[in-house]
This record gives sequence, structure tokens and C-alpha cells, in this order.
Amino acid sequence: MHRAATSTRIGQPVPRKEDMRLITGKGRYADDLNLDGQAYAAMVRSPHAHATIRSIDTKAALAVPGVLSVLSGFDFLADRLSPIPNKTFSVHPAEMPLINTDGTPAFNIPDYPLPVDKVRFVGEAVAMVIADSIAAAKDGAEQVVIDYEPLPNVTFTVDAAAPDAPRVRDEHSSNVCIDAQAGDAELTEIAFRKAAHIAKIKTWIPRVAGSPMEPRAAVGEYDPQTGRYTIYTCSGQTLRLRRDLAIVLNVPETNVRLVIRDVGGNFGTRGAIFAEQPLVAWAARRVGRPVKWTSERSEVLVSDYQGRDLAVEAELAVDKDGNFLAMRGSNVGNLGSHTGNFSMVQKGLEIMSSIYRMPAAHFRARAVLSHTAPTRPYRSSGRPEVIYVMERLIDTVAHQAGFDRVELRLRNLVSQSELPYKNPFGMVYDSGDYIGVMKRAVELGDWNGFAARKAEARKRGRCRGIGVANYVDTATGIPREKAKLTVYPNGCVDVVIGTVSNGQGHETSFAQLINEWLGVPFDMVRLITGDTDVVDVGGGTHSGRGMRLGSIVIWHASNKIIEKGKQVVGLLLQKSPSEIGFADGQFTAQGGPVMSLAEVAAAMNARTDLPQELRGPLLAECDETVNDAGFPYGCHVCEVEIDPEMGFVEIVRHTTVDDVGKAVNPLIIHGQTHGGIAQGVGQALLEHCFYDASTGQLLAGSFMDYAMPRADILPFFTTEISEVPSTTHPLGMRPAGEGGTTPALGVVINAIVDALSEFGVTHMEMPATPERIWRAIRGKPQRSRIVPDSIEQEISLR
Amino acid sequence: MYDFTYHRPESLAQAIELVSAKCEAKLLAGGMSLLPALKLRLARYSDLVDLKAVSALEGGRREGDKLIIGAMTKHAAVAASEVVRQAIPALAVLAGGIGDPLVRNRGTIGGSIANADPAADYPSSVLGLGATVITNKRQIAGDEFFTGLFETALQAGEIITAVHFPIPLCAGYAKLLHPASRFALVGIFVAKTNAGVRVAVTGAGSSVFRFADAEEALNADFSPAALDQISVDADGLNSDIHASAEYRAHAIVVFAKRAVASALSR
Repeated sequence: MHRAATSTRIGQPVPRKEDMRLITGKGRYADDLNLDGQAYAAMVRSPHAHATIRSIDTKAALAVPGVLSVLSGFDFLADRLSPIPNKTFSVHPAEMPLINTDGTPAFNIPDYPLPVDKVRFVGEAVAMVIADSIAAAKDGAEQVVIDYEPLPNVTFTVDAAAPDAPRVRDEHSSNVCIDAQAGDAELTEIAFRKAAHIAKIKTWIPRVAGSPMEPRAAVGEYDPQTGRYTIYTCSGQTLRLRRDLAIVLNVPETNVRLVIRDVGGNFGTRGAIFAEQPLVAWAARRVGRPVKWTSERSEVLVSDYQGRDLAVEAELAVDKDGNFLAMRGSNVGNLGSHTGNFSMVQKGLEIMSSIYRMPAAHFRARAVLSHTAPTRPYRSSGRPEVIYVMERLIDTVAHQAGFDRVELRLRNLVSQSELPYKNPFGMVYDSGDYIGVMKRAVELGDWNGFAARKAEARKRGRCRGIGVANYVDTATGIPREKAKLTVYPNGCVDVVIGTVSNGQGHETSFAQLINEWLGVPFDMVRLITGDTDVVDVGGGTHSGRGMRLGSIVIWHASNKIIEKGKQVVGLLLQKSPSEIGFADGQFTAQGGPVMSLAEVAAAMNARTDLPQELRGPLLAECDETVNDAGFPYGCHVCEVEIDPEMGFVEIVRHTTVDDVGKAVNPLIIHGQTHGGIAQGVGQALLEHCFYDASTGQLLAGSFMDYAMPRADILPFFTTEISEVPSTTHPLGMRPAGEGGTTPALGVVINAIVDALSEFGVTHMEMPATPERIWRAIRGKPQRSRIVPDSIEQEISLR
Repeated sequence: MYDFTYHRPESLAQAIELVSAKCEAKLLAGGMSLLPALKLRLARYSDLVDLKAVSALEGGRREGDKLIIGAMTKHAAVAASEVVRQAIPALAVLAGGIGDPLVRNRGTIGGSIANADPAADYPSSVLGLGATVITNKRQIAGDEFFTGLFETALQAGEIITAVHFPIPLCAGYAKLLHPASRFALVGIFVAKTNAGVRVAVTGAGSSVFRFADAEEALNADFSPAALDQISVDADGLNSDIHASAEYRAHAIVVFAKRAVASALSR
């Protein structure tokens, strides 16, 4: 399956050119930067989930040798800085809008990087100590005396929605920030009355930590001569982050330079501004020295943006033949302590019906505050949660009514002739071969051979189960992107673009585009990103937009380069530009090569007899706003074996077919699928940001308790790429990279429930730990200390 | 990490002198628990006396019917040792399953048992094999050594020099892995000796303990099936976000059977 590259053009599995640099320690991450005279920041973090800040005494801290300054939110206010702006909803035109049912605006309150009134989660930064060394900063941090008055807290999603729950914000009458509806209640009600079978599920998709390999870091610098800040940090953003930093620092955007170099993972944890980024810049101005902050792993777990945390109650109505009639339910997403981003109830809800034909649907969607770390979109923003729910509903109704799980899905998948298809939430899926892809995944996963494998496993005392799950992703994100290409006389090409690699391999895949379109050797393409002194437009990397939008602007800019070159060649050869061709880096006339791209660039630089517009560097720009969404989809098949004595699960096969429309670099896509599967399996089996319900403490606060997936729990994957061109992308591309994760929760749990069906088990909550499985086998409530008590109670989300 | 003074004596005598002279001194024997605690500022010592250069404390050998392992012998060395594999293969298996390769190449047997983490692997072998802990001052019977949560019979200034393991007829170790840390949520060391069967349980209580019911049943019939009727009371067992006391109680019996099966397979 993994063939070797035969060239460096589009479609070739070219090994990543950045890897040797990254794996030999030559990456340039934020923490690798050290500036002359730099000081160090340490954060004082809240030990309470909820408490009033009565006072902050910095005297003892300031007396610690080496401590330069101790800053709190009071200083921040005194310096007339601004709170961090939120971007609560995606306003992409392809996205389903979400508005309060009663017509009032959603509750949104910006956050201060350092609070002055209350702390609202364990680990919230309250003060910052700047010192000559990190050790002195930490010594100082221990001496900051904060007088707290502890208050009652609420951490669990469903509890936080209750009217009498301890409130996170005094400014709002409850913790519910938005209470919206989507779909058509009446049509749905009518459809449910006609149902022959109704499947119901109540479940909670627990909160997890993104855990990128690179901990967060930021270095701030301030030039008092120019009044300009420079911030070096890790982020999935460039220009939006610069804008947000300028807002917080209360200066024009031109007074902020942001530099993002190598970034060791994101997954959403650094998709938005975080408090420490403006804080180091401000501190640099206050102490007159550059200031560096690097998160330790325990800070990562307690204060990074976290992911998921959605409680769902849902029903699926099916007729006697197995046709889906409607679905309905209620989703409650946990925002944590801040109204940062409501994506999980927006992007999550809008594809709740996945790629199945669903005549009607109606859901209530709420986002609630709680005394936990803020959540943000996490690979892939709301979708894995609802795909899991949909796929569990299908297996549940299949089990109840005796439908074959594969047949039932195939019967209800939207067929090619029905596309484009508008789902009941208003999302329009562009194109694809949903049925063909599912059939291929089922074949590749040898669904038909499962019975024999199950029988063989039985002889070894193992219970074997198989699951299948389809998925779709909505790729939107910031719609504007820009590329600037410059061809140099030596044949090198610089690509300046607004996206920024967080580990996705842009240096390689974008170079393949240039190699394909301009015929420039792969190694002569240089990618320049992440520095706002060079990059002026672009949206960063999120929501499957890196290659999807990057390819469009690079393609258009490449074509402009060729057109410009044709004009130059035409003038030099005294021919019409229409007589000039271009292929493999050479301009041609009458079928033969006449000038190379490099020669044209040299001529433009050297010759003064060319018209003004054709003189100077050979460069072209494309700045484009793409309002179409991308809809990657696919199907995964997972097989597990369970040791019933202890409840251990082993994933023995995992097969994926993901449609990416057009694969630029299949090697990178397979790699991202592998990582994505591991991320999804981690949530399904192991990971959980466990907050203690009574104290609000994060009990999984280090890698000694937060269980990450490791290579030894995963099998060798079978991953296949499907390429049905997207009709809404000029090059047919769909995003890749989130496909590994999106169906993983559903397919793993479906396989586990199938394995346990002989024990009468019909559902399994996540993470499906050995103890939870062991309890299910024995008919005990699945409750263990890992489950908040309230999930076991009758949760009514309606 | 707070400041401390680092010492690296090359002889046991120097080490004893240093650790006795400083009231807030701590011995460093691999540091796989101590260093993280220092880095997280959970512990503070004026002096660290690193034993890694005291070469007399490192290495293992067989002497008659006992296996002698120096206190500073690393887990990886025990796991790979032909002498250990021949004499007590279960001990090599145990050492090879501690933490990860980085931990096994740094952590030492003396450091592990002196720390007496309730979820550590080694204490189960010391108790399960009825080993003797040798210090610079005396010999301490395995049954007397572990006295509570992170507590041992060691006195101030006392240094473990070696552990003497009597060679059993056969032995086995099996553990329920902690999903994150790879410590033992439950670890069972079973040894069949001329003096009878010994079963030690780690990870499930505040300190390693012997499993008397299983010992009695196995004395009558050394087979996994002998434990079929045994059950363990969950009362008083550890309970945390990874395993309830009830699940641990079940695991104790299951892993005792697996340890017996392992012992019989050699």
C-alpha cells in the first residue's frame, strides 16, 4: 500500500523534507528562542475551582532575590489593557447559524488574562512573577500571597446546566450561554409518530486534553523607541492572533509583530490566543527586558484549552424496512470557565445526521459554563462527538429491530445521484461516493471473514467484536487566504502564505504543488510563514483549511506567474503571449523550449527595456476568499478482542477508507490518519480530564494519571485513500487529517459493544476502561469513580 | 527544584558519613521518584548524596541457595542478567516490566524498596520471596521491612547495600498495569519455596501485603484452579480514578492465578 515516490509532483508519497530537521533537534520551537537579557515568567495559578480573590500580596515575592516584578490583574487594569476577545461562533457562510430560541443574544463575556474578581477553574493564572531566572521566578511565585474565599463549584456538564447550579458568571442569570434549536420540530414529531422502531441514547463524550508534544511557550519583546511588541510563540494562527494581541495590548496592529516558527502540534489547543501570549509582551514592556514563559507539562494539562465534553440525549426513528425517518434530541456542551468558543454545539450539531438520508431532525443545543479549564475546538471540533452518537444510534436500532448493521447503513447512505444533498440542519454536502467508500471499507476490513475470526478467538477465551462507522467533516474556518510567489533568477521559488504548519508537513506538500505547476525542483521551493512582518493576509491552520485553501491561492498565483512569464517571453521573442506555452518549468514556442522560468526571472530583474509592469522580481500574489465548505468523508471498520475475565480490550484490526478528493501527498495523509486514529482511540479507551466533582480539582493532572494512547495498544492500520473529486474545490481536494479521529470514537465503541452483546451489553460509555467493561459484563452499573455520579442518574437534557 | 548540594561519594563509608552529617540529606539511588518530586517542588533537601559512584553496591551474583543483588543495580541489569534469569526468572520479568526503558536504565532496586511506593513492583518480590534486606547496620527480614505508605524499617543514616533473595522452587509475577504510569494497580508475586508458598500483593493497599488465603490454598494445591473459590474483600483496598477497590479485589485473585500459571510454566 505504501509505495515509494517516483517524483515530487502532486499525488506522490514524498518523504517530508522538514523531518530530518525536526527529529534531529534542529526545529525552532518557541522555547528554543533565547533573547539577550531575557527574563523569565512563572504563573501563580489558582488552587481553587471557584473563589473570590480578596487580595493579592506581592511584597514577599518581590523580596525574593532575582525577582524583577510581580504583576496581577490589578496592574493589568491600571495599565489600561483590554480583555481577550472571544470568537464564539463560526460565521462562515456555509455554517449553520445558532441563535437563542428566545431571540436574545448569546451570553458572551470577554476574559481577562489575569482575573481580579474571582478564579473560575483550578489552574487559572492569577499573577505573574518575572525574574532573572526561571528558578527565581518560581521561588517568587511561591511567595505571592493570595487571600481566597472559596465558593461552591460545578464541573460536570449536565449539572452546570441546572438552574440552581453554582454560577460561573455573576453577570448572567445561569450558566447556559446559548439555548438554541436546529431543524424542524413539527416535521420531526410527525415522522416519529410513524416510526416502527425508535433507538434512544443518553451519553457523555468526556473531556480530553489535546496534549501536543510541544508545551505552550511565548517570548515577548518590547521596543520603547518604536512602541512595538514582538511575540514569538506557538500557534495555529498568525494574523488573527496578531489582531487579538493588539486588542489586548491596546495598540494598533502594526505595533505588534508575531513570529510563529516550528509548532509541535496543535489539535485546537493553540488555535486561539491564550493568556500568556499577551502577558509576556506586557511584562517585557514593564521590566524593559524580553520575557519568556514556557509551560511545564503539568501546566499543559491544567491550563491548556481542553477538548470535547458534550452530553447528548438523542433518538432515531426508523420505519419497518429500516429507512431513517427522523432524529431528535438535545446536546449540552461544556465551555469551561469562559465563553470562548461555542463550536462544539454548532459545528457538532450541524452534521448530527452524518451522511445518511434524514428527512427530518430537531435538536436543542446548549453551551454551558462550568468551573473547569476552557474548552475549544479539538480535532475535529464537535464532529467526532456527534458522529459517535449517530453511529451508536444506528447500531442500537439495528440491535433492537434485528437489522444488519452494514445493510442498514448502506440503505440510508445518501447516494451519489442525490448529491448535492441538504441535510436537515441545512448543510449542503457537495459530492462523494458514500456507498462505494463504505463498501470498500467493509471489504478491506474483511467484514465477511469476521465470523471465523470470532470463532477462533472464542477458542482462546476472547470475545471478538466488529464495528463500522461512517463520517463526514465540515471544513470551513477562516475563508480568506493569500499566497505570494517569487521566482528568483537562480530558479528558487519563495512561497509566502498565511497558513502555518503545526506539524502537517506544509514545507513538503506545498513544494509538491510548486513542483507540479511551475516545474521548479522540489528542493528549490522555500516556504515562508508565520512572521507577520512578511505575511499580511491569511487564516492559519484549522478546520481542514491548510491545503484546501493553500492549494487554491498557490494555484492561482502560479498561473499568474506563468501568464506574466508568457508576456515576457512573448516580448523578448517578438511573439504574441498566446503563442507561448509552458511545461515543466520551461516556456515553449512552436513546440520547443525557449526559456526557463529562471531565465525569465533573470531577464525581468536585469532588463530595463521591459515595460514597467514586467520589470523587477517575477512574483505573483493571490488573495482569495473561499466561501465553500469542504466535506471529507469516509468509513472505518474496527475489530476488538476482549478478555472477559478482566475487561481488557485489544484493538486487533483497524481499517479506514477516507475520501480526500485529491491526495497531494498520500504518505502525509496516511501518517495523519494514523495519528488521528490514535487520538480517537485514546479518547475511546483511555483519556479523560477527570475533575473531582466535590472539589473541582483535576485529578488527571500529570502523565502519571492522564493516560495517553501508546503504540503498544494499537495494531498495524490498514488505511486507504479514496479520491472522488470534490465539486466545490477547483482542484477537487477535500481536507485530510481529521478523518482518522472523527469516526474513531464511534467505531471503537461499536466494536466493543458488539463483542459484549452476548452478555446483554447494549452500550458502553467512554473511556471504555477495563473496569467499565468488566462491570458491564457482570451486569453491574458501569459506574466507577471514573464516571461522574450524575451521568448514571436519569439525565434529562430536554 | 529548590537548591541543594550534590555529593557523589565513591565509597559506602563516605556516603554514610555524608548522609549522617547532614540532617536534611537524602540518598539518591537512581532518582526515578525522587527527581520528579524535586522538580515539582514537592520535596526539598539540603543535600543529595548520589550513590551511583559507589560501585560496591552494584551487581548481582548467586551464592548457594540465594541470589544477592546490590542495592544500586538497575532494573534493566536485573532484567537482562543471566544469573537472575537462571535463579529466579520471575524477578527478571518483574524488573523488565517496571516503568519504561528510561526508568529501567536509571532506577535501582535499593531505591525502589527504600521509597516503598505502594504501587511499586519490587516490594512484592522482597515480601513474596521472603528476601532479606541488607543495610550498613543490619539485616532486615522482608516481612519486617515495609511498614506503611512510603514507610520502611530503615532508620536515619541507614543505607541498603543489597537484597538477598532465597531461590524458590518456582515463582511468578503478574500485574495489572496502571494505564498511564505503568505502575502496578495490582501486582502479585507468588513463590513456591521449601518452607511453603508465599503470595505478596502490591498496588492494592497502603503497602505491600501477604495474601494468606491464597497461600493456604496454594500450599494444598499449587495450581491456578486452587484459587477458584478464593475471594478478596474490597474493604480497605485502594480506590482511585483508575480502579475501584472492587475491581482491585477481583484483580488480586485473577493475577494471583496468572502468577501461579507463570510460575508453573518455567
